[in-house]
Order: sequence, then structure tokens, then C-alpha cells
Amino acid sequence: MISRREFLRRSMLYALTLAGGNVLAACNSTPPPNPPAPAADAAPTAGAAPTEAPAAPPPPADTPAVAATQSSAPAAATAVAAPPDATGGVYLAVARGQAPGPAELARRAIAAVGGIERFVKKGADVIVKPNICNAYNGPEYASTTNPEVVAAIVALCLGAGAKRVRVMDFPFGGTAKDAYKTSGVAEAVEAAGGQMELMNALKYRAMDIPNAQALKKTEIYGDILTADVIINVPIAKHHSMATLTLGLKNLMGTVKDRGALHASGLPQSIVDLATVVKPQLTVIDATRILVANGPTGGNLNDVKQMDTIIASADVVAADAYAATLFGLTAADVAHIKLASERGLGTMDLDSIKIEEINA
Amino acid sequence: MTQQTQSPKTGRGFAQIFADKMKASTLRRLRPWMQAGVFILFLVGLVGAGRIAFLPADLFFRLDPLAGLAGMLAARRVIPTLLVGGLIALALAVAAGRVWCGWLCPLGTVLDWTPAHKPKAKEADLHPRWRQIKYFLLGLILVAALLGNLSPIVLDPITLLYRTIATAIWPALVALISGLEQALIRLPVPGLLDAVVTVDNFLRSAILPMYQPVYGLSGLTVLLFVAVLALNTVRARFWCRYLCPLGALLGLVSKVSWLRRATNDRCIACGRCARACPTGTIDAARAFASDPSECLMCLECAPACAQEAQEFHGHLTPAAWQPYDPSRRQFLAAAGAAVAVVGLSAVTPPAERPQPFLLRPPGATDPDFLSQCVRCGVCVKVCPTSALQPSLTAAGWPGIWTPVLVPRIGYCDFSCNACGQACPTGAIPRLTLEEKRQTVIGHAYVDRNRCLPWASKRSCITCEEMCPRPEKAIQLEEVEVVRPDGETLTLKRPYVVQERCIGCGICENHCPLGGQAAIRVYTPTDLGVGQALQ
Repeated sequence: MISRREFLRRSMLYALTLAGGNVLAACNSTPPPNPPAPAADAAPTAGAAPTEAPAAPPPPADTPAVAATQSSAPAAATAVAAPPDATGGVYLAVARGQAPGPAELARRAIAAVGGIERFVKKGADVIVKPNICNAYNGPEYASTTNPEVVAAIVALCLGAGAKRVRVMDFPFGGTAKDAYKTSGVAEAVEAAGGQMELMNALKYRAMDIPNAQALKKTEIYGDILTADVIINVPIAKHHSMATLTLGLKNLMGTVKDRGALHASGLPQSIVDLATVVKPQLTVIDATRILVANGPTGGNLNDVKQMDTIIASADVVAADAYAATLFGLTAADVAHIKLASERGLGTMDLDSIKIEEINA
Repeated sequence: MTQQTQSPKTGRGFAQIFADKMKASTLRRLRPWMQAGVFILFLVGLVGAGRIAFLPADLFFRLDPLAGLAGMLAARRVIPTLLVGGLIALALAVAAGRVWCGWLCPLGTVLDWTPAHKPKAKEADLHPRWRQIKYFLLGLILVAALLGNLSPIVLDPITLLYRTIATAIWPALVALISGLEQALIRLPVPGLLDAVVTVDNFLRSAILPMYQPVYGLSGLTVLLFVAVLALNTVRARFWCRYLCPLGALLGLVSKVSWLRRATNDRCIACGRCARACPTGTIDAARAFASDPSECLMCLECAPACAQEAQEFHGHLTPAAWQPYDPSRRQFLAAAGAAVAVVGLSAVTPPAERPQPFLLRPPGATDPDFLSQCVRCGVCVKVCPTSALQPSLTAAGWPGIWTPVLVPRIGYCDFSCNACGQACPTGAIPRLTLEEKRQTVIGHAYVDRNRCLPWASKRSCITCEEMCPRPEKAIQLEEVEVVRPDGETLTLKRPYVVQERCIGCGICENHCPLGGQAAIRVYTPTDLGVGQALQ
């Protein structure tokens, strides 16, 4: 038992902590505690910059300018993602074939765009963002990223000397813990030496998106903004509103309130978000794709075996290529088209150097 | 301790040995520890419900013979877990009286920790007839249960405490912890965010829920609980003496309990034991003997006696019937009240037609559910999304505190079947996950007057996106519309294929419209739709 005096003393301390926290926060919050209103090139890697490839998209040019710079493949590459010479100017790589298996396909595709070392430097803090959108079905239903692909990327990062590799997503159906387990991702990642992180509500940071067309304010997971490297590992899926959910749409898992993206116009909101959440590397898992009833799936008849992995530093180009797997072009997918128009990357597959690796 | 003057039938041999080894005043000191330990077990079982494999979420309901008996009577079937647990509790009462109440009951423990009325030297106790109330309530609960009505079971002490902690106190604590964390991370101290997040991650993986639980009925639940605590200031353990129907059941059984308190001829009628007794059953008018139906075996009287005039030993004859013990007349009154409850339960709109938004946990259907649910709140506690809410009037007054699914608060997770696994009576069937995914809870309907594509010519397909059914119960129809600015737009408008919809409510939950959703889940009816899932 504690005395009344002691009880009151502790209560006051508690109340003061609460009040103090709020007061201090109020003083503090005039400039949001977080990312200094990122200009196009100030996004995640700014400062840390352990990668050779600047995450910066092409200068905030209007579309014609982008198109012009991309008239020749190497020039385009330089403009958009500046691959080092080692890649031979390969802007996007596609590895396909049944025999090698998902992990090997991922390794080959990443090797072809310059290897993991191009993106992950020794000591880097890496976040791998797969698509683990719900806790309903196993990976064979193609609603969540293939665990072998995620694990292979984790292993590559660790092999390149990453200090820590975390894997996270924010499912909309069921709890994250259940979804990590059901998807098979947790087991594979932990076996590969990575850490599954349950996205903690305390870590989201409210921020304004400069020059936003639709999503002017949102709350983004803080670590996504501060990590040295973000590797975006979506699965290629059907989605009724977005047409397809690929690399750009996968970034929605980094914000707290996704309803707001729907309400304020989905394609523009996705692109607005992509101006501040900028993965250094996008690896699209198309080993199995979901061709209907996405993004949740649940019916094996809707799953198509494609045995394909796409890798590029340019999320727009990766998405544009992945659209072709569904018999579409980037122009059919509103948010890919918008992203290209707003200079976040290129969807003009003819203008870039693509390496196809067939096993 | 004494004397060879007792009847040989009392089985004193054992008792003597027991008494010599363990003096009552020594044993008494164990009681607070026992109570605290059991209370902690209760809390661990509650907070860890569904997380701790070896500890059944309904452990204390199994050991609650009142909930077990009423539940089995109303459901008209034997529920093995409740039968076994209830018999254990009753056997304990046959052996040693109301030890359940004095040593184990978590509500009794809370009442012992609550400031209580201290009787003054010459203060008269409340009239003993107050003690009849609990027998009346017991009769009411059991007769109503026999008639298939479980509404009065809300007065069971274990359900009362469980639902209070699960739907009010614990959620409030979670909110305070979250609030403190939010406040801490705003302090301009380097590294504090990481430290708080580390602690929070640990807490959430161990005990805290991932999401803040919210309940519409928590205020009323707490009021009832606070009233029970407040009565302690009228008389110590007021609830246990006068009101508790479980105490009444155990008290009746304790009439034949073996171990009882008795006084011997060393008693000098000093009255100190009577003042020490928290239930006031040590009565000068009975020569300071106690009634085993009222005695909690707490042993608080043991150190009060300086004369060694009290004994706790075995008896094989039933204890005397007291004037306040239930009579046939009182039993008939309770039965009459039970009939009234049954009658009044029919005077409620759901008896005529199901309420439009009465959604039950998966697999449970009214009216059967009402006669199987003991209102314990375990399902509400284990539901990870707070979809299950204790109802106020959704199921009519007779269904108060029964669980209803409120999709705007939480949806029935397609990957969860926890409620059926935790339900102590089987009122919510123990469905496999595959079965639950096929079980119809309700049917969703689009409100075209508010739905963005229908009412405002704006794109939105969130409901379709969320639908977890493999073949999508929500389908989209493409139409060309002209926007106010003259632009032609191809819109996708949602509609529901009722035969595929299970009413999980994730569409209603995630509908981006503010306030009321533009797609709502309605009570399933056989009319028009049928339970068409295979």
C-alpha cells in the first residue's frame, strides 16, 4: 500500500509529464518535427547518401523535357537514375524462367542493374517494403510478395554489409503479426537474418507534401523517411481502382490513413506520396501474379505463374514494364502515367536500356 | 483447541490434526496472498485471453457454478467444461463452506481491497432479512434459465467483474499508457522516441492490444461496478452478504459443509469476533456461532478471540436453517419474478422482427443465442478489432450485454475465429477458420444516396478492394457519367452479390465517407437472399 501523500505525489508527476509533453510539443511543432519539407532531391537518402545513384528524379521538368532527355537510352539513364558504368547502362532488368526459382531470379535481376552494392553500402540501415496486405491467405494466392524473393533481397543486403535490414508493411486486413506469419514472409526473412518490424503507431510523422496535387498532408512512418535505403518489393496484382498495384501503389503501406488517399483521388495521391517516399530500388515480384479479384485474392484460379522478376532504380519504369505482363501498357494505368508526367521516372520503355535474362 | 466432549460423528480426528498443524490464525495470514495470487491469475487470463495457450480464456467461468448451471439449464445441454469446473467449486463448498467467496472470488478480493464500513461497538447490523435478496436473485436467475431466459445472469459476480475490466478498466488503462507514450515522445530528449518505441513494442507483443479497444457500453458497465463497490461503505462485503447470487448458491451448499466455525464453552461473550467478521454472521443472539451459509471462511475472527473459544472443525450434520434463509414462499416469489422476466422479454421489438443491424458473432443466431450466452464478455475481449461490442438495446433489453458486431467500429477479420474458440458455453460455435469464412453474419447493402460513385459521381471502390471473399461479394459496374464540368468520366459503381456476402463488415468499416458508411451490413434474413453460401 502507498500512502495518500505518495499517491498524490505520483499522480502529480504523471499529470505533469503529460502536460509537459504537450506543452513542449506545442512549442516544438511549429515546424513539423520531421522531414524538412523535402525538395525533390532531399528524400530518404539525403545526407546519408551511401549510394552512388542519387535518388533524385529528373529535374522537376515538365513532360516534354523528360521525353527529350530520354530519346537516347544512356542519356535517359543518366538523367533518371545515373547507373554506374558497371551496369553498362542497364536501366531495368527482367529475369525470367522457371528453373532458377524466385530467389535466384531476384539475384539475377538485381545483379543486372548494378548489383546490390550499387544501392546498399557497408553499414547502411535498410528497409525492405514488400506487399503484405492482409492475413488471409498464404503466398501461393499471390496477394502477398513471394517470401523467397523478400528473403533473397534481405540476404543480399546483409551480404553487402548492411548494418540492419528491416522488413515491414501495414496490412489492411487482420493484424500485421498474423499477416507476417500467414504470408510466409516472417519465417523466410528471419531465416535470412532480417528483422520483421511491426509498424509502431508512435513512429508516424505528420508532414506536408510540397507541390501535392491531391494529398497535401499525410502521416508517414518515420523510419521510411530516415532509413539509408528503401527497397520496394511489391507483388504484381490486379486492383479495381488503380487497375494494377505495383511499385508506386505499394508505397501506400507507409502511410497511416489510406482512406484519405482514396477520398482525395487515388492516382494523384499515389504520385504525391511517391514524391516523398522514394525507394532506391524497386524489385517487382511477378513470379506469381494475381490477375483478378485483387488486391485480396484467395482464389488460385486468379493466380498466374509468370516466373518473372523486374528490377530497376526507377519505380515508374519498373511499373511500366510490369503492366505489360497483364497485357496492358503504362498508359492504361492512371497513376503510372501521372508519375511519368510529373517527372518521377519514365514509362517510355523504348527509351531505356532493358536487359532481359532468360533462364 | 479442545475437548473430548464433542460427538464422535463430527470426524474430529482429522480436524484435530489439521487444527494442531495449522492454527486458524496462522492460516488466516495466507488469505491475502491467496487472494492476490488468484486475482493476478484472473487478470492474466483476461489480458492474455487468446494469447496464452495453457490458460483457458474462460477459466473463471468454468469455476463459476452459477454461470455453469444457468448456462446449461437455459441451453438445455451438458457443457462438460462448465460441469466439471462447477462441480469442483461445489465440492469445495461441501468441504469447507464459502471458501470460494472468501479466498478465491476476484470480485470478493476487490471488495476486500475497497474501503469498507467498520462496525462500531454497539452498532446494530442491518436486518438479517436483507440476506434474502441474494436467494431471491439466485432463484430468479435459475428459474429464468430453466425457462430459457438468461437475462438476469448479468448479476453473476464473475461476469460482472470480467466485463467491467475487459470493456472499461483495461481499455482505459491502454489509452492512458498510449497517451503517456504520446506525451513522452514529444519531449525534446534525444533518443527518447526510440526508447519509448522499444518499450511500446515490448508491451504490445506481451500484453497490450495492437489497437485501442473501444466499447459503447463501458460507462454503464462501470457504473454498475462502482455501485457494487460503493455498497461496501454501507456494510463490508455488502455485495457478498446481501446480493451475490453465486454466494447464495454456494451458501446453500455450505449448509452441509464439513469444515465450519463453531464456538465452545470458553466463550465469554466479549463480542470481539462479531466485530471482526466482515459478513456480520457472528451473532450474539446465536451465542456467537456463525451460519456457514454466510461465513466466508476468511478466519478474520481467529485472532480476535483471546479465549480459544473458536474452533474450525468437521461436521457431518447440516447446519441450522436460519430465519432469513429462503422459504418456499420466497422461492415462489423468485419464480414469479422469473416468469415476469420471461414475459417482459417478449415485450421487445426484436421478438416481433429482428433489429435491422443486429449482427451476432459468426455462427450465433437469435433467438437461440440469447438462451446460451451468459454475457461474460470473453468474446468481446478476444475480438482483435473491437468489432464485438456489448449491446445496450440492439438485441432488446433482454439482450443487454450480449455481444453484437458493429462494423463501423471493427470488422470481423477474415483470418480470425477467436470468439468461437473462447466462448465458455458454445453460444458462439467453435468454428474452424474455413467454416467461419463461409458463415453468414449479415448482408451488406450499398446506400446509393451517399456512395461516392452513385451519389457524387466520384471514383471510389474501397469496399470492393477490401472484400475478402475470393470471388468478391462486391462487384463493380462501369458506367459513363458526365461530371459537373462537362467532362465524361467512366465510373465503377459497387453493388453487392448477396449470395456471396458473409457480412464481415470490412467494407462498412473502411468506407471513406465520414460518419455513417455508404455500405452497411444488415441482419441476415431468409427473405430474398437466403443463406446461399455453400
